[in-house]
Amino acid sequence: MAVWDLSVTVEDLGSDAPPVTLSVASDLHVGGVILKLVEKTQIKRDWSDHALWWEQKQRWLLRTAWTLEKYGIHADARLVFMTQHKPLKLGLPNGITLRLRACFSSPVFQTVMGVCRMLNIRHPEEHSFLRPVEEKKKKKDKDSVEDIYDLTGVPLSSASRPCLYNGMPAHFADSPQMEAIYKMLSVTQPPPAPEVITKQYRPASVVDKAHINGRWLDSSRCLMQQGIQENDRVWLRFKYFAFYDIDAKYDVVRLTQLYEQARWAILLEDIDCTEEEMMLFGALQYHISKVSESEPQTLSSNAAMDDLESALQSLEVKMEGESSSASEMLENMTAPELNDYLKIFRPKRLTLKGYKQYWFKFQDTSISYFKSKEESIGEPIQQINLKGCEVAPDVNVTAQKFLIRLLIPAPEGMNEVYLRCDNEQQYAQWMAGCRLASKGKSLADSSFQSEIENIRSFLAMQKTSSGSHGNAHANDESINPHSLVSPRYHKKYKAKQLTPRILDAYQNVAQLSLTDAVMRFLQIWQALPDFGLSYVVVRFKGSRKDEVLGIAPNRLIRIDLAVGDVVKTWRYNNMKQWNVNWDIRQVAIEFEGNINIAFACVTADCKIVHEFIGGYIFMSTRSRSKSDTLNEELFHKLTGGHDAL
Amino acid sequence: MDDIDAMFSDLLGEMDLLTQSLGQETVPPASLPSTNKETNFSMSYTDLNESLHELEDTDLDALMADLVADLSATEKKLAAEMQGGKVPSPPPPDLPPPPQGLSTGPASSLVSPASPAISTSSNVSTPTSSTTSPLPPPQTSKPTREEIEAQMKAEKIKLALEKLKEAKVKKLVVKVLMHDGSSKTLMVDERQSVREVLDNLFEKTHCDCNVNWSLCETNPELQLERTFEDHENLVEPLLAWTRDSENKVLFQEREEKYEVFKNPQNFYQWKKDTKSLKDIKDQDKELLIQENFCGSSIIVPDLEGVMHLKEDGKKSWKPRLFQLRASGIYYVPKGKTKSSRDLVCFIQFDNVNVYLGKDFKSKYKAPTDFCFFLKHPQIQKESQYIKYLCCDDETSMNLWVTGIRIAKYGKSLYGNYKTAERKAAVGSAWTNCSTPSSSNPSTPSPTIRAKSPNQANGHVPKAPPGPVTEDFGNDQPPPPPPPMTNFLPPPPPHQARAPLPPPLAGKSSSKPALPQRHLPTNFPPPPPAMGDLPPPPMPPPMDDAFEAPPDFLPPPPPSTGFGSLPPPPPMNSLPPLPPPMSSDLPPPPPDPGFLPPPPPQPIFTGAGAPPPPPPPPPPPPAAAPKAPVRPSGSVRKVPPAPPKRTTPSTQGEAGGGGDFMSELMLAMNKKRDH
Repeated sequence: MAVWDLSVTVEDLGSDAPPVTLSVASDLHVGGVILKLVEKTQIKRDWSDHALWWEQKQRWLLRTAWTLEKYGIHADARLVFMTQHKPLKLGLPNGITLRLRACFSSPVFQTVMGVCRMLNIRHPEEHSFLRPVEEKKKKKDKDSVEDIYDLTGVPLSSASRPCLYNGMPAHFADSPQMEAIYKMLSVTQPPPAPEVITKQYRPASVVDKAHINGRWLDSSRCLMQQGIQENDRVWLRFKYFAFYDIDAKYDVVRLTQLYEQARWAILLEDIDCTEEEMMLFGALQYHISKVSESEPQTLSSNAAMDDLESALQSLEVKMEGESSSASEMLENMTAPELNDYLKIFRPKRLTLKGYKQYWFKFQDTSISYFKSKEESIGEPIQQINLKGCEVAPDVNVTAQKFLIRLLIPAPEGMNEVYLRCDNEQQYAQWMAGCRLASKGKSLADSSFQSEIENIRSFLAMQKTSSGSHGNAHANDESINPHSLVSPRYHKKYKAKQLTPRILDAYQNVAQLSLTDAVMRFLQIWQALPDFGLSYVVVRFKGSRKDEVLGIAPNRLIRIDLAVGDVVKTWRYNNMKQWNVNWDIRQVAIEFEGNINIAFACVTADCKIVHEFIGGYIFMSTRSRSKSDTLNEELFHKLTGGHDAL
Repeated sequence: MDDIDAMFSDLLGEMDLLTQSLGQETVPPASLPSTNKETNFSMSYTDLNESLHELEDTDLDALMADLVADLSATEKKLAAEMQGGKVPSPPPPDLPPPPQGLSTGPASSLVSPASPAISTSSNVSTPTSSTTSPLPPPQTSKPTREEIEAQMKAEKIKLALEKLKEAKVKKLVVKVLMHDGSSKTLMVDERQSVREVLDNLFEKTHCDCNVNWSLCETNPELQLERTFEDHENLVEPLLAWTRDSENKVLFQEREEKYEVFKNPQNFYQWKKDTKSLKDIKDQDKELLIQENFCGSSIIVPDLEGVMHLKEDGKKSWKPRLFQLRASGIYYVPKGKTKSSRDLVCFIQFDNVNVYLGKDFKSKYKAPTDFCFFLKHPQIQKESQYIKYLCCDDETSMNLWVTGIRIAKYGKSLYGNYKTAERKAAVGSAWTNCSTPSSSNPSTPSPTIRAKSPNQANGHVPKAPPGPVTEDFGNDQPPPPPPPMTNFLPPPPPHQARAPLPPPLAGKSSSKPALPQRHLPTNFPPPPPAMGDLPPPPMPPPMDDAFEAPPDFLPPPPPSTGFGSLPPPPPMNSLPPLPPPMSSDLPPPPPDPGFLPPPPPQPIFTGAGAPPPPPPPPPPPPAAAPKAPVRPSGSVRKVPPAPPKRTTPSTQGEAGGGGDFMSELMLAMNKKRDH
């Protein structure tokens, strides 16, 4: 058989080095080529991660038993001998960039699995890589020397089978730096400065939102094939909004990143919500950032409790404590109360004009008032039970206005009563009391003190938020309310107008634990009507105008761009089959009842749409019984298309 | 007789306490006319009595039966406890009278004590009594004293806490209108959920138990109607009624209650044509439920449409385009788009309930009669704070009302449905054997039984084992007390008086006196016990009591239910009453019949004791003799009650009781020997 020259560029020799030329015959298999090559370079090292990449055809020659002939390689082929795992910059949902070694030769689906394994994220099938949106202002690159967390040192072998140490993969326990990275992954980021939010790209319409979905990488092809080079940047994102089996105990990183993705989706108006919902999201963000500062471990500290013994022990201690303290409790049980001079005003009553001062007593869930302190032993002028009432703040710190507005239900309707406090301290106490009482809790409730603290810190927020210095590591006192809401509200409200509204929403969530708060945030996010929709601009067969196809976990919707309305909904469970005509790039779907639709994709490749649909079908096949083993083959079958596997 | 008198006085004292603690007892107006006037607040004991008087005889009977059942349940519990943990039973005399100290404490915020570990519920009082009693408890001796003491002390503390908590529990006598126009009267305590009350009614009515059965409230003034959700507490909304209201509670089938789970497509795919909705496969329905109710977040149907809004205080109805979201109802302001950011919040659901409006076309000139409105549950009269909405047709009204319920109650709604389904399935099966379980100690009233036939009542799960008693006990007591007072023979005042603020205190104080007479016997700290628990029901014959060792004195009321069981005297608190007593009952004054014992009970029952396996001790025979010390009054009702109980009550319990009794006997004998 004829021998001919094959030139191979060896990455390790440097980019300037000329290609190495080998004499080969067409029946030589790829393994033989590599062997010859290694011998010729005379470099001693571990070559096990290296493989041949065929530049013209954009493919890896991974089957070492195949001959050159079988691969169709001739003398004109330009081959590169290089490592399969290369550094990749990975943008995480929390906005932080991580540098790690990812596989450039396997399908992206597997690469994502590898990355998720390294980061300790379960259910990698819900994620994928997204090409980043180009940042407009390159000039600013100089000041944006971002911190990059480097994970390239993690041995590939250890990432393949993470054993947990202290609740985190062992490779994160190697050094303080690594632990810091894990903390970054598993602890929510502080609220971003308002300018950071303002500067980021925000989709203004459904069509804008559709564009982002053209950026998903193809799961069935490798990074190299999709033009991603060493040290390029991609984003890791949740792609399929069907979050399976979330367990706060095992999903610390997953949950944190999901929260971050949701938070940014809200802040950047990637998903629409109402003003009331935005305030609640703001309140939850505030609460989460506050709690995670004070107890950064909570999300991740389950490891210790895994230990049955320690759990039992803590139980024991608890019980002992309970019984021993019971008698003391009783002795100390003089119910706490508040007593002070306050001013009261009843806006609806003509008889009482302006504020009048009385001696107020707050006991249990009721407020009573007397003419003066001296008369407080007798019958009160009035007693108001606050249970079930609505409490709203009306505060202006600079003007020293501390008003508590109460809306108290009565059989005849709601009675409006304003209480005016003299100072911050008094206000915080009485407000906290009112809040608790409205929920039927007395002052003796354990949350009383924390409620006071919350109110104080909100007052502090109002003080400092007049100027908008957004430093990302804002300490507790100086969180800018503009950091918690989307830019639309920056324009609509001043910070001090925003504060009471967020505080208002905050009272319902202030007692949540960190995990619960994160979960609540996610629940509200998932309950938004537009949740889980990925948009693609398409043109339906027979139609002359562009329309938007929304792909959700359980259905497809058709949106008329002119009206903005959902025109039609098709559910996957009625779907009989779908096909892609790769030649004319058209997706055809058949539903039960003889419904057929077909469309061409405008803003994304039809492979992406195909993958979305197949991906969601795949997600729905996951069941608890099969739990951990991922049916990769099925995924590719459902999403791969004609050239899959 | 002195003893008896003393006991009574004790009981009375307890009752006083109870009443004080129950200050709030209310009778829901609708149900009891008499009481109604009183309003919820601060109904006093006497009021309650009045209300009871006014009840029709049948109602009264039914109520009594319930109460008795409760009592018996408590007794059973006690018995079970006794068996389980001997410890408690032998409350050593030494025990420090912790209760007293405790009693002083205000009950208010206490944490519920509850730990099961504490064995005896009722006992708290007992220990004290025992102290007084000269006799050392023979049985007690077994465990080392210190241990026992320590344990007892802990238990007492917990008990005390529980009781304090209990003392605050509000109870209402509720008259429920049945679908056939008749009515039933129930005692409902504030911890009972609508589900429990429904279960109770199932048992009483022998209806088919299907998931549509509901409790509804109506308010003629507002012309409203609302179906209570199964997880809600019944008492709370009833407390919001005004004293003169003509509101009613109805027991009826409501198709729409769980329609969303039967035909989710009609709610989640309402835009589709009705034909395709009808043809939907069961499998697809199931999937819809899964998607919307079983995910990490509840999905609210995406309702959107024009409804007519009655503007605040105005008479006109204006059309507006509304949208339902998980966070509330919004409308699209004129000239704005439907995008989320432009929506204006109309109302959020945290503080309001949704009600159906009846006949609004004539009342408010609404465009149609398909109206609903949202208001704070406390609002009972017309007010600008009520938001009235009017839909074009019934379908859309049901869509909206159901949608709002989903948004407001979320997962609980689905949980309620699942429970109702289970109940419906089981219900038919056990209706036949209906009698079963009513006995649970837990709730006094019907609730208990309703739940699970076999098991104890509502609280069932816990019941059999020691802890059972806790909750239930508490609940029950309330009703009985009142009657007692009236009817009961006048106890010697002095003793009775123990004015104990909190039940505990009361007990402790009262106890001393009692103990002396009767029972120094170890076991049952008779007097106190009596007070607390069951004693009243069974009027043990006085004589017997005397004869019998002091223990018996306070023969527990358990009569019927326990019948076989010897009353759970073991607990310190309870005096062991032999079942027979009931039969023996002396001629009590009619009314009182039921009352006597109950009052105290409630309080005590609170504590749950861990139930150790019952030791099979000597047979109870001895006990049997003593029967009823009972106060004269109460008898009559009692007897009937027992039958129910007995039947249901499982033998197991009886067995336990027997053990108890036998133990008692042993103890008695020992004493005598001494």
